Amino acid sequence: MTVPVESLVDGAVRTLLDAVAPAVGSRYARGQLYAVIDVLRNLRDRIEERAALAEADAAGAADALARIVVALRAADAAGAADAIAAAVRAAPDGPPAARAAALAAALVRASEVLAALPGAQAAAARAALEACLVDRAFRGIAHLKPSLLAEISRG
Amino acid sequence: MSDAALEARLARFLAARLGAETVRIAALERSTEGFSQETFSFEATVVRAGRTETRGWVVKREPVAGLLEPYDLEPEFRVLHALSDDPLPSPPTPWFERDPAVLERPFYVMERLPGEVPVPAPGANGEGPFTDAERAVLGPAVAATLARLHAVDWRRLALDPPAPGAGPAARELAAWRARIARAGFPVEPILADSLAWLGGNLPATDRLVLVHGDYRLGNFLVVREHGTARLTGVLDWEMVHVGDPHEDLAWCASPLWRAGTPYASGLLPPADFFAAYAAAGGAPVDPARIRFWSVLAIVKMIAIMLTGLAAFRDGRTSDLRLAIFDHQLPYLHLLLATTRGWIPGGDT
Repeated sequence: MTVPVESLVDGAVRTLLDAVAPAVGSRYARGQLYAVIDVLRNLRDRIEERAALAEADAAGAADALARIVVALRAADAAGAADAIAAAVRAAPDGPPAARAAALAAALVRASEVLAALPGAQAAAARAALEACLVDRAFRGIAHLKPSLLAEISRG
Repeated sequence: MSDAALEARLARFLAARLGAETVRIAALERSTEGFSQETFSFEATVVRAGRTETRGWVVKREPVAGLLEPYDLEPEFRVLHALSDDPLPSPPTPWFERDPAVLERPFYVMERLPGEVPVPAPGANGEGPFTDAERAVLGPAVAATLARLHAVDWRRLALDPPAPGAGPAARELAAWRARIARAGFPVEPILADSLAWLGGNLPATDRLVLVHGDYRLGNFLVVREHGTARLTGVLDWEMVHVGDPHEDLAWCASPLWRAGTPYASGLLPPADFFAAYAAAGGAPVDPARIRFWSVLAIVKMIAIMLTGLAAFRDGRTSDLRLAIFDHQLPYLHLLLATTRGWIPGGDT
């Protein structure tokens, strides 16, 4: 997630209080609305993003980066391989979110390093990078619920 | 500001601009479709020189925070105002006001055009927004209107043109890259990789045109009648600028706006849309340039969402609709992979 969970909850509470509550006419619905706000406020400091999601991202990135390093060494690009290996070594072992963020940054570094190489020399490493980014994109949507964007847009 | 206060201020503003004795505002509604500028529609009954006339108007006001900040409404007003007498279906737009004493923030006023705005989302049963009969009429009309827009002489609009050659692509990429940086979130690797690819593949442009910047399903005003449909308006000109015509073509055909169909903006297969544009007087479409602008379209949408998320994160807006972009971004990362051609069968 891009925005921290606490910020999302705070924002939801602010919106319900400032924009929704004044427009609710039914006493029953108003009572339910304040119950929702109460639940959200108390949930705020008891939840965090699942570590398993960050661990999956980190494992995928670490595996791809290892394959990229091997491919670069095989393609006589030792300097590029060393630069990426250094970025991987710099990633902390934990907590999971910090490790995932550091390895994501290492993927960005790998992308930059590969862009500076001749296409043929980078080809195998690029294939590993692209496969990793596709896997990452699919993992990103795996836990999402169907969007209510159409209803949100219609109001 | 309450609706009553807003109505009173609008009545005073219109009375002064129209030289009316009285103006009564009714049916004031805040639009929920747009996610960027604040939009109010209303009816004004104007009494002037003993005659009474009722007409629909729309006000676009700069938001406190939003998807395209920092805002400057004046260039789009200038374009809309200049196009007011053009056959293009753009809303006649007579007034711009910057004085905060009027509505607190800058705004402009447009005439309300007839029609509804089909939203870019599949229907309840997964169907697209248009019937086949509607698509058969609307598809060519949307393509022809874009060709007409691109034929407008932008030199009379006091817009700042980019340098020729790769200038339009370089300028747009720099602008969206800057928005991504300003949002201040860690850059997802697929986005970073795509920004680098775009930077290494800037296409040259042989023709500078007036680019709408947001020409797509969701900004088309449509009247449906007698089993068919007609295009009555093109809305949301806030990203208007001078650039490469392929930018509008790729944006309109992007998977972002297909509403569950395989069609550009729910209307025509992309290749047919491009052919209809060329047949209507637009230049032939260059697939290499379309590829660049298609990738940039997804990057642009990600930048817009990150800007909205940053406004929400920083507490500058309480519009929870901006927070849902957190759940839309992963789809855009997947679309980016598709548009880059990394997923077999993906449609660019």
